[in-house]
This record gives sequence, C-alpha cells and structure tokens, in this order.
Amino acid sequence: MDNLFVTLLGQLLNQTGLMSISLGNIIMIIVGAILLYLGIVKKYEPFLLVGIGLSCIVANVPGSELTKEGGLFYIAYQGVEKLILPPLIFLGVGAMTDFGPMIANPSLVILGAAAHLGIFVALIGAKVFGFTLAEACSIGIIGGADGPMAIYTTMKLAPHLLPQISVAAYSYMALMPLIQPPVMKLLTNKKERQIMMKQPRYVSRLEKIVFPVVIAIIVNLFLPPVAPLITMLMLGNLMRECLCVDRLAETASNALLNVVTMVLTVAIGSTMAADTFLTADTLIIIALGLVAFVFGTGSGVLCAKLMNKITGGKINPLIGSAGIASVPIAARVSHLVGQQENKNNFLIMHAMGPNLAGVFGTAISGGIMLALLGG
Amino acid sequence: MGVLPDTMSGAWILSGIDFLLSFVFISFIGVILYFFPHLNSLGEIKEKKR
Repeated sequence: MDNLFVTLLGQLLNQTGLMSISLGNIIMIIVGAILLYLGIVKKYEPFLLVGIGLSCIVANVPGSELTKEGGLFYIAYQGVEKLILPPLIFLGVGAMTDFGPMIANPSLVILGAAAHLGIFVALIGAKVFGFTLAEACSIGIIGGADGPMAIYTTMKLAPHLLPQISVAAYSYMALMPLIQPPVMKLLTNKKERQIMMKQPRYVSRLEKIVFPVVIAIIVNLFLPPVAPLITMLMLGNLMRECLCVDRLAETASNALLNVVTMVLTVAIGSTMAADTFLTADTLIIIALGLVAFVFGTGSGVLCAKLMNKITGGKINPLIGSAGIASVPIAARVSHLVGQQENKNNFLIMHAMGPNLAGVFGTAISGGIMLALLGG
Repeated sequence: MGVLPDTMSGAWILSGIDFLLSFVFISFIGVILYFFPHLNSLGEIKEKKR
C-alpha cells in the first residue's frame, strides 16, 4: 500500500513540470519578472511589458500547455506569424494619430529619414558579427523604433529572430526617456536647446482627409512590400479625420487596439523560451539595438542642427531625435529635454512632425530592405 | 534572396542605397505636403464638434 502511494506520487510528480525545469527556464522566468517590474513599478510601457513579462514566465514553465501547439498563446502567435496583428495595430494607431503637425511643417519630414542612421549602423554591426544579410536587416530595423514594423520585417526576413528583435525593439522604446537625453545633450549646447520655434500653421480638415489617401497611393505605388502596414495606418487615420465614421475610429483606436495589443504581447512573450532565447546571439542583438537607438538619436539631432544653421536659428535641434519614430515617446522626450532649459518652451507639437515622419522613414527603410532582399 | 551578395560589401551597398532612398522618398512626401495648403482653395469642410 505504501509502495503504491509512493509510486502514484512519483507519477503525479512526473506529470508536472517540476522535473524538467532547467537553469535556462529559471533565468527566463527572472527575465519575465524583471519585465513585469519595469512595466508595473517603473511604468515603462506597461501596456506592452505586462503581457510580454507574464507570457515569458509562462513559456518557461515546462508543464505549461499555453505555448504548445493548440494552446492559446500558440494560437496568438499565429496572428504574428501570418502578419495579421501588425497591420491591425497600425489601423488603431492611425485612428488615434493627428498627422496635422507633419502636414503643417513639410521641411521637418526630412528628419524622419535622418534619424534612421542607427538602422544601418546596427545592420553593418550585425554583419560584422556573422549574421546573414536578411538577419542583419531585421536587427537593423530595431533602430526604426517601430514595434509593428520591426515584427513585420523580421517575420519576412528572419522569423527565427522574432523574440529577440521584438523584445529589444519594445524594451528600448520603453527606455527611450533614459537612452535619448544624454545623446541629445552631448550634441547640443544650452543656447540651441533653448530655441523657441514658430507656431505651426493651422491644418484644415480637407488637408487631413486628403493626406491618408495620398500617402496610401504613394506607398502602394512605390513601396508595395510595406503597403499592408501603411495602408492600414492610413485607413485608421481616414476614419478618424473624415468625421463620419466616428464609431469605427473609436473602436479601432480603443477596443480593437487594446485587444490586438493583448494578443500581440502574449504572442511575443510566449516565444521567449529559454532554449531559443538564451543564446549569445540574443546578447549581440540587444547590444546592437542599443547602438541603433543611440546612433539614430544622434543623427537626427545633427541633421536638425544643420537645418538650424541653414534657417538662421529657427529650428531647435532637440526635435531631430524625435525623427526616430516611436510615436509619441520620442516627441515627448524632445519636449521634456527642451523644458529642462526653458520651462516656457513647448516643443511637443514641433517634435510630433519629425516623429510622425519617422514612422514613414522606418516603413521606407523596411520596404526597401524587403524589396532588395526579396522578402 | 535578391541580387545582393550576402557579404560585408552587400551590407554596405544595401545600407547606402536604403539610407539614400529613404531621403529621396521622404523628401518626395515633403514636397507633396508643400502643396497641401493649396487644397484649401478648393473649398472648406464644415467641422462638427467631436
């Protein structure tokens, strides 16, 4: 009887994940807990890190069925793999974004390209470390600071790197308030940071309605590889600006975006299993991501400095760093760094122009990569 | 894979082309946006309060 009891207990124990948990699993559970800490306690992008953190923990508990084929997290990942979720995120983002600041100041859109030098520095760096060109492009696109675009490009070029790239992209976007200011201050002087810019012009409703239509045509015409993402961004924006489908715009920007964010975050976190994530490549990718963000911020600021010289001191170089995308975090960083020098300087609206242009800058870079590599 | 070689020089070529074309495309969008104020001469859309 005693023997039977011990045997049954042994069998029960074998059914649990306790017997197969590895050191790697424990490390990844700690990583998941750190992500939760950053999201919940430090408030760094909690909408992303809460889902990613918990599903990372669950993915590393050996007995969990959620991440196995047929499990809920596994099914959520199909939305990423089939490239359904990133365009839906863009639909929601478009429905909540006012492109007025970008339309109002066309000369600043150039910063949306200038602040992407980091993409190419990371790309070259990845190649030096022995990654294939397709993998290097996926790593480089982290520097575009655009989560859905990073996922989209990676799924087309190097899907096996999705966990590392998505985690690096979203983590650095969350940490931009820490990464960008030192670079911005290093490359500008106090006088430049105090520059107050002229109020942008009023943008009419007609302009705001025509904008998404024109952009959708241009992108589908010239950049078909990324057209699904940008078209959805523009559809969401058209819903917002036409003022006659308010319920749809409201749903896309709130309910739908929230649902898709939930599914996307658990899908990303569920890919962070120890056996695929705990590699030297992960450390290299995360380091290159940081390099990309630093160089992108620097190149944006330097281009804005040049524009400031050309215009006779009318442009505050701090808005250059916002060209890196990551709407609206990067614009907010420009604003806050500016306010540290002059409390009456409201740079947010000026920085939103390059910030929104940065979304297109990343899409253009990604689109060209996909076109050239046949992704 | 497209026509680019999977080598260091391929990475440099891709980066150069991509960075340059990014400026070209985004400048193109900028040029189009310069003409946007002219749209207002076509008429005005009455805005209801959100």
